[in-house]
Amino acid sequence: MGVRSKGLAFISLFAIGLASVASAHAEQRFDGVVLRVATFGGSNKDVLDAAVSPKFAALGGKIEWVTGSPQSNLAKLIAARGKAPFDTMEILDAQLPDFAASDFLAPLDLEKIPNKQYLEDWQYDGKTMATWLTQETICYNTEKFKELGLPAPTTYKDLAVPALAGRTVIPDITSGGGLANFGGIVYAAGGDLRNVTPGLELIKSLKVLKFWSQGGETVTQFGSGDIYAAVVHAGWCVRAKNAGSPVQTVHPYINAEHTGVHKYGRQGVMKSSENYEAALWYINEYLSIETQTALAVKTGVFPTNKAVIARLGDDPTLKQMLELDPAKISKQLRVDYTDVSISDWVDQWNRSVVTN
Amino acid sequence: MSAGETDIGGMDTPQSGLAARAGRAARWRTRQAVQFWLKWIMVALAYLFLHAPLVVVVGASLNGGGQFAAIQFPPVNPSLEWYFEIPARQFEALWLSFVVGAVAAVGAIAIGVPAALGLVRSNLPGKTFIAVVFRSPLQIPAVVSGIAFLQMYYMIGDATGFYAQGTFIGLAIGHVFIAIPYVVGPVTAILQRFDHRLEEAALSLGASPWRTFRRVTLPVIMPGVYAGGLYAFMVSFGDVPLSIFLTAPGYVTYPVELFFALENDFNPAILASGTLVILFCLAIMILVQRVVGLDTLLRVGGTGKGR
Amino acid sequence: MTARWGVMLAPSLVLVLILLMVSQTLFLEGSFYKDLGMGRTSKDFDFTNYVRIFTDGFYLNALWITIKVSALAMICTLAFSFPVAYVIARMRSRWGMVLLSGIVVSTFITIVIKVFGIIIIFSADGWLNRTLMDLGLTDGPYTLIGTQEGIVAGLMYFTLGFGVLTLYSVIQTIPVSLEEAAMIHGASRFNVFRRVILPLSMPGLVGGGLMIFNMCMGAFTSAALLGGGKVFTLPVLIQRTIMMEVKYSMAGTLAAVLLVAVILINLLSMVLVRRMRIGRGVVA
Repeated sequence: MGVRSKGLAFISLFAIGLASVASAHAEQRFDGVVLRVATFGGSNKDVLDAAVSPKFAALGGKIEWVTGSPQSNLAKLIAARGKAPFDTMEILDAQLPDFAASDFLAPLDLEKIPNKQYLEDWQYDGKTMATWLTQETICYNTEKFKELGLPAPTTYKDLAVPALAGRTVIPDITSGGGLANFGGIVYAAGGDLRNVTPGLELIKSLKVLKFWSQGGETVTQFGSGDIYAAVVHAGWCVRAKNAGSPVQTVHPYINAEHTGVHKYGRQGVMKSSENYEAALWYINEYLSIETQTALAVKTGVFPTNKAVIARLGDDPTLKQMLELDPAKISKQLRVDYTDVSISDWVDQWNRSVVTN
Repeated sequence: MSAGETDIGGMDTPQSGLAARAGRAARWRTRQAVQFWLKWIMVALAYLFLHAPLVVVVGASLNGGGQFAAIQFPPVNPSLEWYFEIPARQFEALWLSFVVGAVAAVGAIAIGVPAALGLVRSNLPGKTFIAVVFRSPLQIPAVVSGIAFLQMYYMIGDATGFYAQGTFIGLAIGHVFIAIPYVVGPVTAILQRFDHRLEEAALSLGASPWRTFRRVTLPVIMPGVYAGGLYAFMVSFGDVPLSIFLTAPGYVTYPVELFFALENDFNPAILASGTLVILFCLAIMILVQRVVGLDTLLRVGGTGKGR
Repeated sequence: MTARWGVMLAPSLVLVLILLMVSQTLFLEGSFYKDLGMGRTSKDFDFTNYVRIFTDGFYLNALWITIKVSALAMICTLAFSFPVAYVIARMRSRWGMVLLSGIVVSTFITIVIKVFGIIIIFSADGWLNRTLMDLGLTDGPYTLIGTQEGIVAGLMYFTLGFGVLTLYSVIQTIPVSLEEAAMIHGASRFNVFRRVILPLSMPGLVGGGLMIFNMCMGAFTSAALLGGGKVFTLPVLIQRTIMMEVKYSMAGTLAAVLLVAVILINLLSMVLVRRMRIGRGVVA
């Protein structure tokens, strides 16, 4: 950082400070508002809390966090028959058809979310806005592969070799990235969303050690030498590398059109919310450069904010592990769940992987 | 024992009857010894099984290397780093779990003890079925109970205007519900072994029914009550699937906090916080032992002794 | 006197029945309506869901596995907790309480944390697997996770403390003098165990055993974490049906089947025990 940019940063900080003081005095826009936000637990919530809560407090309001997976939050929503115990929630791409079929979400007033300027067009619609991505990869131990005389994998099939039997893991279909990766495996095996059998056959041929449901387990098992390769999102691979494992990501070749897989999360406002304005403010803040940078650096999820993506290359590990080229990101497989019967997928998966 | 060895040494003596008896005695002793050691081997295995993962967790919690390090055992460059990274909300969650656990234990005792007494003592028709009712909260998977309670709270809320979901009361009711069988079980087991004649004797000596209950029955079932209460506490303290649905902002129990923290994120500080829980429980155990004595809590006191 | 005990039972029974009925009826009622997903059901009362479960080997197999691992976990838990409870109950020194505290403390630690310890113990390159392979006991690395044994072990972490506490409170009501008397009369340890301790602790073993079995039949967390996504017990399947498939009435049906199966097993075992007791002429 040069002296000039430091000075610039100082001035802009000063300006922000002034602005916030001014706004605090001028109008307490959200006086007494308690905004309930459903999001993931752990560091995700911590980062959002640190980035957003002080700003909201400056406007007179308070944020309460309802932590949990989007699946459990949807279950709560259904039990409450739409009377949501929160104002705004994280939604997985796989849940979009469920939300489209039901009537839980309020239409978004896009005028109130100026940060949409940083998003690609496909990343928002009338009811939800994409706030993060995860790039689903094959994370492999480069040293072990060398030891075994195996070339670096390029796709899932490359893991189906005897030397790797019982030494690989893939996500359970119920875990966060389970459906996206399953979709990737199905396409890579020559199937499609209506015919997942080839994917299930491919999974059988992998002879995995287990189907993981908590990413921390894969980090631990890379460290203990139990596994040589894992299908995980790049954030976990970054974690494993930071923990000292010699790992590297591969964005798996799917077919002629796609290389790599990603899933994305969206944010929506509940129809039953009485804090609509505050919820829109929250989504706008979620998409801001500061929040998106903090999330990318501290939790390893991939931002949707274009300005932030452009800067990620400054970090050598992230540059090595993630696909940062917008053209290539757009060629990653993004499963369209519109015509997918998830319960059918889960049912077929259960019957296929079960060793009862 | 040394006398036994001379016996074996004397096996060669011509008196064959004596030798045979000595042989039998030796076999008897060997069998005694085998049974003695078998018992201790089982005990050792049980403790190894229960505590090995804990030793690894405690050991691994001492790893150095900041919040990006891997879990390793034995620890590499030991430090207490992770202990300073335990998020404050885990302590809040721990406190909530502790309070909910205590409420669950007390509530389950208040409901479970009369239930056990009634089940064993009365001759109501369909007692077997009633016993099944009291045991049923156990068999319903907690995730089903969780959603069912949540739906019930919404229904009651729609009717009365009081929504119990996400409140402490709502959470506590759910925990009491799943904890009841854990009190009914051990108290019933003790009552079934209980000698009625003691009560009859007390009554025939002119003691009032209440006095008989307080002085004779209660001391005998107390160990079951404490054991049941302890277990109610443990079950509540460790519950994940039910609590997921009944917690709300500000009301997240410890295991749920951990479960969510692990779902999409991994911070090795959870090993440190797990170790603190172990130490905390140990401290409570020592305290209980010092103040009242764990054995006096769980041991049949008063009239039950030395029967 | 006995009538009064019945009255004593009433408030508890009413309370539990209300909680049970209101919460479960809401949920189980759905099981009689065809599932349309997203928590919605068809309006026609029918048995589609039940027919589906009972004609589908997958669900029946899951039910069978649940019963099997629960029974195995119960047997193992009793087999281990009996000697532990006995040793503690008969110990006259402070060490008894130290041992008991050890059991209690370990039960307090959630399986969510323990599972990391288990992963490391069964690590492919860890000392346990190296020793097993050096001794020629296993060909390749062995792991508990993703196996039925693993689930049994996971359930034991959940139930062992309970087993020890229950049996402890029963065994220590058996006077030591009875055992000593039997020993003086030349009974071997095994015979003392078989003739004195076992019959006297039978109510505890039966009651505790049933409780442990029931706990296992409904257990989710340990079964899910140790099952490694490969072995599905009914509670794990129910969880998946609710969380992933968002099919409440199907989940309600599975829960009803589980509940009825457990109740039947409970009633059956109680009848069996009673018959055994009458057969032996033991007056309870």
